[in-house]
Amino acid sequence: MVFAARYEDPPVVWGVGRVVVGDEVRPWPVSAADIDDETESMATRLAALGLGDGGLVLIVSLLSEAIHVAPFERGAGRLGARYSSADATNFDAFRTVSLVRQLRPAVVLGVNGRVCDGIADLGRDLGSVFEQVDAVAAGDADAASRLADDGLPTARWQRVGPTSAVSTPGAGALDYDADRWLVEDEAGELLITNLAARLTPCDRFRTGVAGRVVEPGRLTLG
Amino acid sequence: MSALDPARRYFSAEIETRPREELERRRDETLLGDLLPWAYERSALIRETWDAAGVRPDDLTSMDDFRERVPFIDKDAIRAYRDRHDDPYGGLLCLDPNDASLKKVFSAIFSTSGTTGDPTPAPYAGRGPSFLVREFWELGCRPGDHFLHCLFTFRGPNIHDTIRGIGATPVFVDHQPEDVPQLFRFSRELRPTGWYTLSGPLVMMIEAAAAELGEDLEDTFRSYSGVVFAGEPIGPRARRRVESWGLELFLQTALGDVGAATECAEHDGCHYWEDTAFIEHLDPEGTAPAGSGERGELVSTTLLDKVAPLVRYRSDDIVRHTTEPCDCGRTHGRVWPLGRKGDEVVVAGVSVLPGDVWAAIESVDETAAGLFQVIRPRREVDTLRLRVGYATAGARSLGTVRTQVTDAVHEAVGVPPDVELVEHDVLLRQGPPHKIPRVAKA
Repeated sequence: MVFAARYEDPPVVWGVGRVVVGDEVRPWPVSAADIDDETESMATRLAALGLGDGGLVLIVSLLSEAIHVAPFERGAGRLGARYSSADATNFDAFRTVSLVRQLRPAVVLGVNGRVCDGIADLGRDLGSVFEQVDAVAAGDADAASRLADDGLPTARWQRVGPTSAVSTPGAGALDYDADRWLVEDEAGELLITNLAARLTPCDRFRTGVAGRVVEPGRLTLG
Repeated sequence: MSALDPARRYFSAEIETRPREELERRRDETLLGDLLPWAYERSALIRETWDAAGVRPDDLTSMDDFRERVPFIDKDAIRAYRDRHDDPYGGLLCLDPNDASLKKVFSAIFSTSGTTGDPTPAPYAGRGPSFLVREFWELGCRPGDHFLHCLFTFRGPNIHDTIRGIGATPVFVDHQPEDVPQLFRFSRELRPTGWYTLSGPLVMMIEAAAAELGEDLEDTFRSYSGVVFAGEPIGPRARRRVESWGLELFLQTALGDVGAATECAEHDGCHYWEDTAFIEHLDPEGTAPAGSGERGELVSTTLLDKVAPLVRYRSDDIVRHTTEPCDCGRTHGRVWPLGRKGDEVVVAGVSVLPGDVWAAIESVDETAAGLFQVIRPRREVDTLRLRVGYATAGARSLGTVRTQVTDAVHEAVGVPPDVELVEHDVLLRQGPPHKIPRVAKA
């Protein structure tokens, strides 16, 4: 794709994404400054997964997850790495398989149960598809257990309100940015409060994510 | 930074209405003086192809030279190079991927839809709005508006950066059946004016969800001033249905993998931008120009993409073409997509493209979704075989439906078809969310 224009009058709101709490979808507007600030955090998470200069991360997600995904995309650039994309659906699993084979990413982020189903429908097993990948961050618990069962270096990516927490392969806890977000647990549910300025603020926002804060910056799920 | 004036007619008036002589003078200068030498020096596939044809950039001093001497490439050539050299970019990449100074330019790798096979990786250069700002402005969307961004992830951030390029705010929705309720909700609550994209399968999903949820689509969609319909053509019955919801469709078609061409408000062909691409319209079986108004193959050459430039790329797309000015005031060329060369079957000497049977299949209630495939074991066949998707809800006997489809297609193309009926899902499972393969080998 080529570029021919510049921003003449960019909108204040970078985009209207969403935060999903259980079955409820909350529209979630974010600013360009929010995305830039989250990028700092997600570059750190990607580096912890082993992404570095000259590397590639394949991000498996949905467009509706854009406010969570854009900081990873840009974070890859901060590390001198590149990214590619596939949809987190069973139909588009063929793209994940094909791009892993063709581009040989160091990290794959966001493989969920539907993608695992799609890979199985193609007659492929997870172990052979991802065997050359240094870290596969599962997008849900179903994928995490299936990837780990196949002996893959499995990490976890979890959306927590408007931000993300990510583990490294084999680690029990997920890391989040405690300088920008206060995460608490109450009755087994994670609550989140923004510490850095955000277009859509949240104050002890109930995320619907079951988990526990181990220490500031680290949480466990379930 | 200057604020965009909502009253301006065109986003880039000087470019969009540039006189033809000026368009061609600039094209020749860019192509012969810059793009071709660059591509030959840096693209392994271009250099290999040109060397085999005995052509060098120095040999080309005019567009006549270009037309006579420059060899063609196509998707098969790119895939063959990719497989021979284990090069995911098929020999097109003009930059050293390890050059640190270029990492901000070459930031990502996206991919083609993969409808006809393996998705082809496409290097993504830069960040910011693309020339599609001109099309999005033409939809009637203006600064401060919301704009529904309903797509996939594998096209990259180009579209949402471009939405922001006209001062609008993207609202992200998945091009998936399960997200249609959110599409309705965001349409009602945020009242977007632009929408990119709607497709045939999404029309089906919207109809099904509206029936289930009791959605009043005319009210839900009343804020939209323009909707880009992409993926593949829309049949006349589906178009009438969508227009009954109050939506104005702007058809978009691919431009040989160097961009896109989109209708303006005149709806008389899809504009492409001659400051971004040189388009030829050639005899599908040869190299001579096809006549204006005739079926010809779209052959594209980029004028802008110096990361992975396509030069004389035979797209396989069959179009009509004109460079006559449009009533909208734009001077750039227009195409009317007709189908893909690889989709054509010849039955008893009669050429049939999927578009030729589309309206006939749509005309039967149970097959009104226009989901069908032409069975094409080879180009020349004895019988026109069609696999047609039907709606199970309220369907009459399959024998009745088959007879009606058979008669309608026979009347449309003059050849009696052999029709196999399958449930919609059988076909929908074969495609990306926005389209299905229109031919199958068996």
